[in-house]
Amino acid sequence: MMNSGSVKHLAGHPFDRRDFLKVLGWGGAAVALSGCGNGSVEDGKETVVSYVETNDYMIPSISVYFNSTCAQCDAGCSITGRIREGRVLKLEGNPNSAINRGKTCGLGQAGVQHHYNPDRVREPLLRNGDQGEAITWEKAYALIAEKLNGVSGEEIAFLTGGVSGHLKVLLGNYLDSFGSKNHFVYEAVGPAVLRAANKKSYGVEMPRFNINKAKVVLSFGADFLGAWISPVHFSQQYAQFRKGVDGQRGVLVQIESKMTLTGANADRWLVVRPGTEGILALGIINALGTATGDIAAAVKGYDKARVSKDTGVSAEQIDKIVALLKERTPSLVLAGSAAEGYAHGSQNAAAINLLNQVLGNVGKTVEAAAVVPFPQMAPATGNTFALKTLNDGLNAGKYKVLFSYAANPVFTAPGAMKFKDNLAKAGFKVAFTHYLDETAMQADLVLPLDSALEDWGTQVPEYMAEGAQINIQQPLMEKLHANTRGMGDILLALIKLRRADDYKKYDDYYAYLRAAVLQNKGALGGGVADDDTFWNETLSKGIIKLASAAHALSGKAGAAGLSLPAPSAIDAQYPLQLIPSVNASLRDGRNTNQPWLQESPDPLTTIVWDSWVEIHPRKAAELGIVEGDIVEVTGKNGSIKVQAYLFPGIHPDAISIPLGRGHEALGRYAKGYGVNPFQILDMVFDKETGELALHETRVKVSKTGSRVIVVKDEGPAGGSQMGKKIAARLPSDKVKLSEEVYYVG
Amino acid sequence: MSVSNLLENWSDFRHTHPVDDVPHNPYKWAMSIDLDACSGCNACSVACYAENNLPVVGKDKYAHGYAMHWMRIERYWDEDGRDFPDQGAQFLPMMCQQCEAAPCETVCPVGATNHTPDGINSQIYNRCIGSRYCEANCPYKVRYFNWYDYPTTDNVWPAEMNQQLNPDVTVRGKGVMEKCTFCIQRVTVAKNNAKNEGRLVHDGEVWTACQQACPTGAITFGNLVDPESKVHKQWQAQQVELAKDAQTKDKEEGGSELRGYRIFEELRPYPSVMYLERVRESAV
Ligand code: SF4
Ligand code: SF4
Ligand code: SF4
Repeated sequence: MMNSGSVKHLAGHPFDRRDFLKVLGWGGAAVALSGCGNGSVEDGKETVVSYVETNDYMIPSISVYFNSTCAQCDAGCSITGRIREGRVLKLEGNPNSAINRGKTCGLGQAGVQHHYNPDRVREPLLRNGDQGEAITWEKAYALIAEKLNGVSGEEIAFLTGGVSGHLKVLLGNYLDSFGSKNHFVYEAVGPAVLRAANKKSYGVEMPRFNINKAKVVLSFGADFLGAWISPVHFSQQYAQFRKGVDGQRGVLVQIESKMTLTGANADRWLVVRPGTEGILALGIINALGTATGDIAAAVKGYDKARVSKDTGVSAEQIDKIVALLKERTPSLVLAGSAAEGYAHGSQNAAAINLLNQVLGNVGKTVEAAAVVPFPQMAPATGNTFALKTLNDGLNAGKYKVLFSYAANPVFTAPGAMKFKDNLAKAGFKVAFTHYLDETAMQADLVLPLDSALEDWGTQVPEYMAEGAQINIQQPLMEKLHANTRGMGDILLALIKLRRADDYKKYDDYYAYLRAAVLQNKGALGGGVADDDTFWNETLSKGIIKLASAAHALSGKAGAAGLSLPAPSAIDAQYPLQLIPSVNASLRDGRNTNQPWLQESPDPLTTIVWDSWVEIHPRKAAELGIVEGDIVEVTGKNGSIKVQAYLFPGIHPDAISIPLGRGHEALGRYAKGYGVNPFQILDMVFDKETGELALHETRVKVSKTGSRVIVVKDEGPAGGSQMGKKIAARLPSDKVKLSEEVYYVG
Repeated sequence: MSVSNLLENWSDFRHTHPVDDVPHNPYKWAMSIDLDACSGCNACSVACYAENNLPVVGKDKYAHGYAMHWMRIERYWDEDGRDFPDQGAQFLPMMCQQCEAAPCETVCPVGATNHTPDGINSQIYNRCIGSRYCEANCPYKVRYFNWYDYPTTDNVWPAEMNQQLNPDVTVRGKGVMEKCTFCIQRVTVAKNNAKNEGRLVHDGEVWTACQQACPTGAITFGNLVDPESKVHKQWQAQQVELAKDAQTKDKEEGGSELRGYRIFEELRPYPSVMYLERVRESAV
């Protein structure tokens, strides 16, 4: 056991408990730290034995299993890796996580192809003209120190994707060491507008949505079975919802302009004119007739006739929804990315959230989520506003040094932002990366990272399923390449160049993490266990479950400030609305180099290895387009050529192209397949949050005259069962689900 | 053999395997798939690639129909002539149905595909001569032929990727047929473990890779002859019987409240996979 005196001695400056907590990530904690138990690291006697030395466990032909956290998206599913003869072979879900309960999505399954990807960067590369020259890490660190010399905090920018846990702590402390506040967190397709709207409606950015407790789910374009927030968690809830509360099967009504995977599973899929989701929500509130006061006043003008005309949803259908919502409670209303993606996206989301309030769902199916009581570790979630700010700064020549990690804006920024050109104005660009993606290709220095299955870390998911949890990431096998480094190790090395005294006792990120966890053992549920026992248990579980209170929801936002624009008129020059769709596997394109995902058919079109544009058959007939026609999709900011696919699940005045393909870099499995719709997006932003309005781009479509055979899984019969009973269906009044034997999971 | 002879004495020609007096003892592996839970997400299909060393063939070969997805998700639309699919799509996870009277088996000239005593349609790779008759005769089109030698094809398993290959599963070379095995390598491990401990495999001891990944828990797998198994209970509740070619549900025209059915029952392959019909709300 250690007293603070020796900490003072080790740290070389007067011990300040607050600073010390900040170094390890527990700063500002809402939970009291235990006063003891932080001995072994502080006395410096710790001998760190890497967990990857699994020799003891390794018996030829016998698999061993280690728990870690899926890093394919930010949902934070816990995984169990199967390791044999020192190689990780397969990832499964860890049953002990409330988020994914033993399950994974297809994207998660492909995590091994990130790790074994043949196109990983293996050496630090320094730009020499068009070439990257391999250099040593010592030289790379020296170079960074040299470039930072004499540069002020304002002239340094750090761009990342969503980060949380101790990586975020180190990153924050590193920027702090320059007095820099320039941490730009960028997510190309994150629910940024929704977070802001939720904050207003419920008092928190990310409440819990209890799909499994709802009898009706009314989803305005929330693809919760596909790519929305925490899809594996929601898929499990969905399965329970289908079995029903009190034996009554849950009913899903999906309202959107382009059918998502969730829409394809709806009992009723309603196509709505793009951008009028909020109007429909207000129309439903009006038709419910239960609202009073300012809410009633706000929805007064939204009578059925007008709403039906604006949205294209029939009055009869609105009546049916209203009857259903009245008869079956509680319900749950979700505002998804399709509703967010407009200049009035915030208003759309607010109107939809208001419906939850009117229906009395807040506190029932929309609940407060548990919170990790350590603000320093809470996830920094990203948005496109951050990228825009960075881009403006780059354009103004503000930054001498730019670091980038886990973001690829050269690929995902709208072409009209000219991000690539502006990036060139930064003096020295450092990319921490696994692959040479489009952004790394522009860097001066490329630093190769350990894969997510080789690295250490802690992760705090944004969406908390039940209790609060911190996820542990640990190596599942030895590093494949000698010269890659963990992001935590790199940050630690860099911060040591700035604040040696604070960090010198941590040989590596592993030692730092271990120290951090053990220092706060009491609050992390370690009780009186000795350090080694607690640490080993933590690693073997892969999850730290925390006792924590949830913030209460407010749910009384009312209708103040709510105003929705009339549906936009059709633009004569660009008559079609472009919906860039987010597919569960490819998302924003960071995983496109995993061949299983390239070859995994899009669930709705069954297309593989290429992009396509979805056009409603009626519109296609009007334009004389048939399947496989290469069409040119032109907007104000350029055009792309892509194969046409006739798709019934889309509004005839809209077309849709999936995001994630069209890479010019990222290795053999990604480069050259498909097109990148990010390139032609219009620069329209949500009026309240400044977020890029992803669905606001107007385009026209013209035939080029060439035609290809669409490579897809669907056969010549298309979606027809040819009169056979293959995939069968029953109406709900013809089954007795409550009498069935079923098992979820 | 005349057709009339074949039809009259059908049961002599088409056995329920195995042909002993005591069929399927102590194991008969079977599945049930709940289409009301399945979201069509494809996680099962990717998990199968990961578990069973399935090659990624690439765009050009995919275009020729050479995809090797043992588990594929079929997507159907309503055919009611309406403008919009307002009841969504229909998804169907499709893989080898492990037919009891497998049409693929009877046509194999070398007996490379045949039945295991525990009711799995097995494929013996090193006996297969690549005639592809089985593929032609499979009513479900779930057999996949190795037109190329994928292990030596560029970018299928280049260095490092090959380290992911599952050592419990053969890597197939050119010229052989393959298909879903019900993850027989997992079944074998469980059976051996149970045997070493002098017991039978418990329900829930073996999960197929697709079942394990499936986020909605749509897939149930187990031993149909174990009365305690989930799969047995589900089949029983749905009154679906392995050796019948018409189930209760089929007999009651539109009146039954059961959801369980087998695809192409009328062809009498006696599949080991029962599907539960998707349900759609009548009130909306
Ligand atoms: S949702 Fe899929 S990709 Fe995201 S963390 Fe979970 S398993 Fe991984
Ligand atoms: S589904 Fe096809 S491959 Fe499988 S046993 Fe039946 S006939 Fe053979
Ligand atoms: S993983 Fe499950 S839900 Fe997804 S397609 Fe397969 S069976 Fe359906």
